[in-house]
Amino acid sequence: MAFVGSIHGGSLPSKPQTLIFNNQKPSIHHRQRRRPTPPIFISTSFSDVNPIHLRDLCTTCNHSFHRFPNILPDGRVEPVDVDKLRVALSHSSVVVSVFARPELVTSLPENSTTGGDWYRRMIPLTPISGELVGFGRAVSDNALTASIYDVMVIPPLQGRGIGRMILQRIIRLLTSKGIYDIAALCSDQEMSFFKACGFGDDVLGSTTMMYCRSGNDMVVNAGRKLLMVPPLRKL
Amino acid sequence: MQTSSSPSLCAVVPVDCVFNCSNQLPFPSSFNLGLSTGSRKLKVSRLQAGFWESIRSGLIKNNSTQVIEPSSSPQEDEEPLPEEFVLVEKTLPDGTIEQIIFSSGAEVDVYDLQALCDKVGWPRRPLSKLAAALRNSYMVATLHSIKKSAGEELTETDNEKKLIGMARATSDHAFHATIWDVLVDPSYQGQGLGKALIEKLIRALLQRDIGNISLFADSKVVEFYRNLGFEPDPEGIKGMFWYPRF
Repeated sequence: MAFVGSIHGGSLPSKPQTLIFNNQKPSIHHRQRRRPTPPIFISTSFSDVNPIHLRDLCTTCNHSFHRFPNILPDGRVEPVDVDKLRVALSHSSVVVSVFARPELVTSLPENSTTGGDWYRRMIPLTPISGELVGFGRAVSDNALTASIYDVMVIPPLQGRGIGRMILQRIIRLLTSKGIYDIAALCSDQEMSFFKACGFGDDVLGSTTMMYCRSGNDMVVNAGRKLLMVPPLRKL
Repeated sequence: MQTSSSPSLCAVVPVDCVFNCSNQLPFPSSFNLGLSTGSRKLKVSRLQAGFWESIRSGLIKNNSTQVIEPSSSPQEDEEPLPEEFVLVEKTLPDGTIEQIIFSSGAEVDVYDLQALCDKVGWPRRPLSKLAAALRNSYMVATLHSIKKSAGEELTETDNEKKLIGMARATSDHAFHATIWDVLVDPSYQGQGLGKALIEKLIRALLQRDIGNISLFADSKVVEFYRNLGFEPDPEGIKGMFWYPRF
C-alpha cells in the first residue's frame, strides 16, 4: 500500500474504488469483448527502432515494402533490404514501435502464473528488454498531408487491439502537428482494419492511382513489376 | 490515495493517475502483478527509460544497432539534384520570345503559388503551411514562363518570369512516393506541360529506385493520369482517408 501512495504525483482525485472501474471509456468495454490487450510498451522514438529487428518483423508478418511484392515459391515475400530500410526510416515523420515481453511471444498460455516467473515479471518492459511485435510509420511533408505505411503486428498477437493503438498513436502525432489530411494505401485484407479505425474511402471522390506502366527497356525493378522510366522528350 | 476496502486487491493504480502523472512515475507501471487490467496501457516513465538507456550504453561496447535519426540536414547524394532547362521556346505573333523553363529544386514563391491556385480554382490554404510543405517535399517541379522582347539581350531584370505550373512529391526516399498538388495555369493547359511535369517527377523517383508512386486524382483528371501510365486501384489497392470523428 505504501508504494501506491508514492506513485501519484500529488493532485489525485479522491474517488472511491468502484467509480474508477465504471469510469472507463466505452471503447474499452467494446475491446473487452475480444481478447484483452496484452501489456505492451509503445514507443514513438526513432532511436528505439532497430532496422534488423524490423526486417525480421516484416518477414514474420509476411509484409512487403513493395506494393507488388515478389512472392517466393513457398508463399513468403522476399526480405527487405536493410540499408533501404534505414533510409526510409530516417525520412519518415512518425514511427511507432510496439514491444512486448519475449515470453508473451514465445509461450502464449495467457495466465502462466507459476511461482518462478515473478522475477522475470519484475524486469520492467523497455525497448531493450522487450521484443518488437508491432510497427507503423507515416511519411508526411509536416504541414499539409501524410501517408501511413507498413502497419504490422505479429500474427500471434493480432486481433487484440495493438494495430489500432499503433494507428491511433500515429494519428494523434500527426494531428498534433496540424496535419489532418491523412491517407493510407491498403490492400483488400487491410481494408477492414482501416475502416474499423475510422478511415473511409474516396473522400471528395478522388481515385487512388499508382504508376504501373511496364516496359521492355529502361525499366526499374519494383518488386514484381518492372516499371518503365518515361523517356526524355522535347515538346 | 485511500487504501481499498477489499483486501484482495493489493496494488491498484487508478487510471486517471497513470494518465495524468505519467511523467512523474518513479516506478515502472508493470508492477501491477498479474491483475487482469487488460484495458490499461502500461507506460514506463521517461525517467525509467533514461535510466536503462544509460546502463545500456555503458554495458554494450559493440553497439551494432545504428540509431535512426530523422534527417534534419539534406544529404546531397540522396536528394534529387536540382536542374533547370528550357522545355519549350516559341515566338509569339508580336515578336516576343517566350520560354518555358522547367526547374526542380528551385525556390517557389508562395504568393505566386497561391495566385496560381486561385486561378485554377483551388481552395486557399494557409501560406505558412504551404511554405513548410514545399520545403519538406522530396521534389518540387515548377514551370516558369519567361517573355522577352525580340532583339534584346536576356537579362535577369528585364523579363517577366511567371509561375505557370507546379507539381510536388513527398517520399520516404526509399520505397513510397505520393504526388500531390499538380497544377498548370489554365491558359497554358493542353500543351503537354502537365505531362512533362509528371514524367519528370516519375523519372526522378524511379532513378532513385522508388517503386511505389501513387496519387489521388479527381474524377476529371483520371484519364490524364491513365495516359501517363497510372492505373486506378491496381490489384485492389485503395487509398483510405482518415475521418475525424468529432
